Amino acid sequence: MTEILQILILGLTLGGVYALMASGLTLIFGVMRIVNLAHPIFIIAAAYISYVLFTRFNIDPLLTVPINMVVMFFFGILVYRLVFAREAENPRYSEMTVLLTFGVALILDGTLGYIFSNTQRITSPSYSTQAFFIGDLFIPKAQLYAGIFSMVLLIALWAFLKFTPMGYAIRATTQNRSAAQLLGVNVARISMLTFGIGIGLAGASGALMSFLFSFFPAKHWEWIALLMSLIVLGGMGKQLGAVVGALILSVAAAFVSNIFGPTWSPVTFFLALFIILLVRPQGLFGDKVEAT
Amino acid sequence: MAYLEIDNIVAGYSHGPDILRGLSATVEQGQVVCVIGPNGAGKSTLLKVISGLLHPRGGDIRLRGESISSLRPDEVLRRGICFVPQERSLFPDMSVRENIRMGGYILKDRDELDRRIESVFETFPRLRERANQHARTLSGGEQQMLAMGRTLVLEPEIVLLDEPSLGLAPQIVEQVFEIMNLFTEKGMTVLLVEQNAQKGLEYSDWCCVLDLGTMLFEGSADSVLDDPRIQELYLGRRQGARVTVQPQEGVA
Repeated sequence: MTEILQILILGLTLGGVYALMASGLTLIFGVMRIVNLAHPIFIIAAAYISYVLFTRFNIDPLLTVPINMVVMFFFGILVYRLVFAREAENPRYSEMTVLLTFGVALILDGTLGYIFSNTQRITSPSYSTQAFFIGDLFIPKAQLYAGIFSMVLLIALWAFLKFTPMGYAIRATTQNRSAAQLLGVNVARISMLTFGIGIGLAGASGALMSFLFSFFPAKHWEWIALLMSLIVLGGMGKQLGAVVGALILSVAAAFVSNIFGPTWSPVTFFLALFIILLVRPQGLFGDKVEAT
Repeated sequence: MAYLEIDNIVAGYSHGPDILRGLSATVEQGQVVCVIGPNGAGKSTLLKVISGLLHPRGGDIRLRGESISSLRPDEVLRRGICFVPQERSLFPDMSVRENIRMGGYILKDRDELDRRIESVFETFPRLRERANQHARTLSGGEQQMLAMGRTLVLEPEIVLLDEPSLGLAPQIVEQVFEIMNLFTEKGMTVLLVEQNAQKGLEYSDWCCVLDLGTMLFEGSADSVLDDPRIQELYLGRRQGARVTVQPQEGVA
């Protein structure tokens, strides 16, 4: 019993971080139909910001969360304007974005590799090796803090989408782009800002990644498959889906890791991806897609 | 000076042929103008051009003498022209209340917006009953009521309606036209595209008959209803052996 509880704690705290990573990806897909293959490399780029700030200036990675969000927000907008805005009217936009984001991922991967080399990095604030003990249970402080930060940010994102005029505009554009436009939403501007917000969320999760997982630029190829499996399970473009998908798969992976050993835990995500696509391709919260 | 002036409009989609080929018409304030014509005549295209969704290749649209044909849809909306497209104009995963709130997206004054949402609920008690339901759970008639009721939030001058009765049961169709009457009672001008020409004309003041992207004929709705040529061509009511049947579009 204690063991199961232990696995649940580890799975859920990590799941919160996965959910934060996936939330930006699913937001961008929802509004713009951009399958952002570059999402994890933005996360890793942000992790390097935290790494530099931590090693040079001794700034706690948790404090770099807001810094990363702002920096990555503007970086996201810059990338959007350079790469995506000019193709927005293209009828093959959705397909093109797969190639475009792939290209962006390669460029960032190469640039980061050039600057930081492909050595494994990790920030090591004091809490990264500490844990809380409750009876027989232990909760690693790093995971707990990261999980709490993620949940707070996800709740803030939910409130933003639910209650602010811009949140209304983003949800409306996601659900019915042409109708949103007819009601006066400047969808081009909303697309740009949403991309910025999505990358800003990637920035926040990068700060958390910097002390949870060791990283190097080319590592993002592993992360994209994991993140895709989360949002496909939840239903692409659905915020709640991304969170539920992340929590389910993270807990599942924790169990697999406990039973078969940590080597097998990544398999959980790929296996889940296959099963979802076979059984319920629209995901848990997705709309049924009719063949066209 | 005419109220809404459609002046020699030429328009088409991306690289396709011209759908509208030099169409001119004028709309008087406070009238219900019904646009009829066979499929492909350019009726829906005309509404898209007026609403700013499609920019014309030639010609001009003027509201009170001021050109609006190069404006974005949100700018056209700010001039008081509201477009209710053929179908799927709702946000399926938003509640009825949120859908109405989106109708007033361009209003900056939130207290005023709350007041207007309340007045929409007063006009349509049915929508108030469903206020917290997702739009996707509404019946077809309720969805159309929501799509049309939502425009009231902006208190527009002109409402463009693209086949509001499409796919609705006959008794619901009646209700849709009653909502349209409500618009005119509030002094709005309505430009209506309708396949159900008979019904549309009963509720209209003026009628434009389009064919192949040009104006074939225009006149008062009554005169069109009584005109034997128009009856034969578009109303399918010719006395005698031959009955013309309006071909239905496979994909609406």
